[in-house]
Amino acid sequence: MRKRVFSVLAHIVLISASILMLYPLLWLLAASFKPDNQIFNTGIWPTADWSLDAYFRGWNAMRVSFSVFFMNSFVIAILSIIGNLFACSMAAYAFARMEFKFKNFWFAMMLMTLMLPSQVTIIPQYVLFRDLGWINTILPLVVPKFLAVDAFFIFLMVQFFRGIPRELDEAARMDGAGPWRIYWKIMLPLSTPVLVTAAIFTFIWTWDDFFGPLIFLNRMQDYTVTLGLRTFVDSTGESDFGGLFAMSVLSIVPIFLFFLIFQRFLIEGIATTGMKR
Amino acid sequence: MTINAADAAVHNAASRRSIWSRAWENHAPGYLFLLPWLIGFIGLTVGPIISSFYLSFTNFDLLTPARWVGLENYQRMFTNDRNFAAAMRVTFTFVLFSVPLKLAFALLVAILLNRGMKGLPLYRALFYLPSLLGASVAIAILWRQIFAGDGLVNQFLANFGIIGPSWISNPNYSLWTLIILSVWQFGSPMIIFLAGLRQIPQDMYEAASLDGAGKWRQFWKITVPLLTPVIFFNAIIQTINSFQSFTPAFIISNGTGSPINSTLFYALYLYNEAFSFFRMGYASALAWFLLFLIACFTAFSFLTSKYWVHYDD
Repeated sequence: MRKRVFSVLAHIVLISASILMLYPLLWLLAASFKPDNQIFNTGIWPTADWSLDAYFRGWNAMRVSFSVFFMNSFVIAILSIIGNLFACSMAAYAFARMEFKFKNFWFAMMLMTLMLPSQVTIIPQYVLFRDLGWINTILPLVVPKFLAVDAFFIFLMVQFFRGIPRELDEAARMDGAGPWRIYWKIMLPLSTPVLVTAAIFTFIWTWDDFFGPLIFLNRMQDYTVTLGLRTFVDSTGESDFGGLFAMSVLSIVPIFLFFLIFQRFLIEGIATTGMKR
Repeated sequence: MTINAADAAVHNAASRRSIWSRAWENHAPGYLFLLPWLIGFIGLTVGPIISSFYLSFTNFDLLTPARWVGLENYQRMFTNDRNFAAAMRVTFTFVLFSVPLKLAFALLVAILLNRGMKGLPLYRALFYLPSLLGASVAIAILWRQIFAGDGLVNQFLANFGIIGPSWISNPNYSLWTLIILSVWQFGSPMIIFLAGLRQIPQDMYEAASLDGAGKWRQFWKITVPLLTPVIFFNAIIQTINSFQSFTPAFIISNGTGSPINSTLFYALYLYNEAFSFFRMGYASALAWFLLFLIACFTAFSFLTSKYWVHYDD
């Protein structure tokens, strides 16, 4: 009996907490469908007329339409995923399975970069990329991923690779397979879960990234969605709330979809490794 | 004799070659796999660290070559920069309140969810969603509207006849709205707590309750001690991230840290010094001080951890 009461109480607490958590998001969603004059002075749900007006208005409100911003964000995100998966898994394979001089030293260095605040490296990196003529291109945002700068994923993959039975690659070596073949034909196919996790988080983090694009992209036609949204706030001031909210909703839709599809991977990824944020 | 010596020389050369070629065979494949990371590590991490350390002793505006000024930047930080003092105050207040509150919520909800109740996956997903969206510009924009003068919070308060201030533009409250935003994103530490709670063997609770220990006592004597490694981990990650918080403050204050520097986060101040005013030397000094702060905090945590973190061994 006492147990039952407690469980009902727990559900009540959790349900109210969920509502409190989600209310702002629902409000944002509802507001994006309201006519402008109703956004602030009615309840959460649109009273009479739902309208997609704000979406059309917002999409083309600026000199450059949001289709360009979305395209840019997608290109950067996809290249980042490819880069991260390749470079991080190669480094992780070396750390997990190969023997070479100073391996432990490099491994310790890699772990130390996990702690390093990005503010320390960003200024010299900016100078470097500027000297290379890369400012206002996507290169500063993408090339580092091909050089495994997100050490976090290396760490994640090392942990996973260590769990794969050594007999498998030793048997392959007996059969005369070289390291590249073992990496490509055995380790990677067996590592789908960790690769998927890394891909999902790379997508979400690059999609959300504001700092990188803010520093390296200065021309509106190169903007990502996050920069476009921020410019929207500045350029329309506080007048076109409907359009602003509609574009805000659209900007989080890809993340939300990823969340729905890959929820299990995301949560396992967090739980087993303790992701940032 | 001479023939033997020549033989030996040839033999030595051969074996030397074989040492090299063996070394090559043994170590090269590993280094080939490590190569992308090594290039990135040296070119984009070690190089920049050294160079930013050097720049922190110079005046550098990107256009003219860096000019050596010795300790001037650091001197200015500690003696003659009100904005730096403000940024320190704002950042420490933020870390001091947002991290413990966030972890407390995360732990509370994780414990409620760990009772094996129905609907766990749904709740878990709902609570995690804000964390996932948390860093996005859209959420910061939303927050700005929620705490605006005519925003959601004040509409709610109006039901009770309270006329709320414009939270965002009032220096007494603006930082607190950002703390609330951060606490709202308790989802990811919560999931880590849940995973940790699942590791605690149930029979320990059964044994304790046979010995007559109540729920409250069980919580303090079993749950908390066994969870300290996870608490420790969450606290470190959250604190390091909070020190570097940037996007929400940037969006909510239009990049200025206004009103009256009340949301001038350290990372925001650093960004402005570097990329709005092009004081790259000074900004490098700020970055190095941030590194120093984080290193001190981490070292301190690890040193004290042996007194309160219990690893089962």
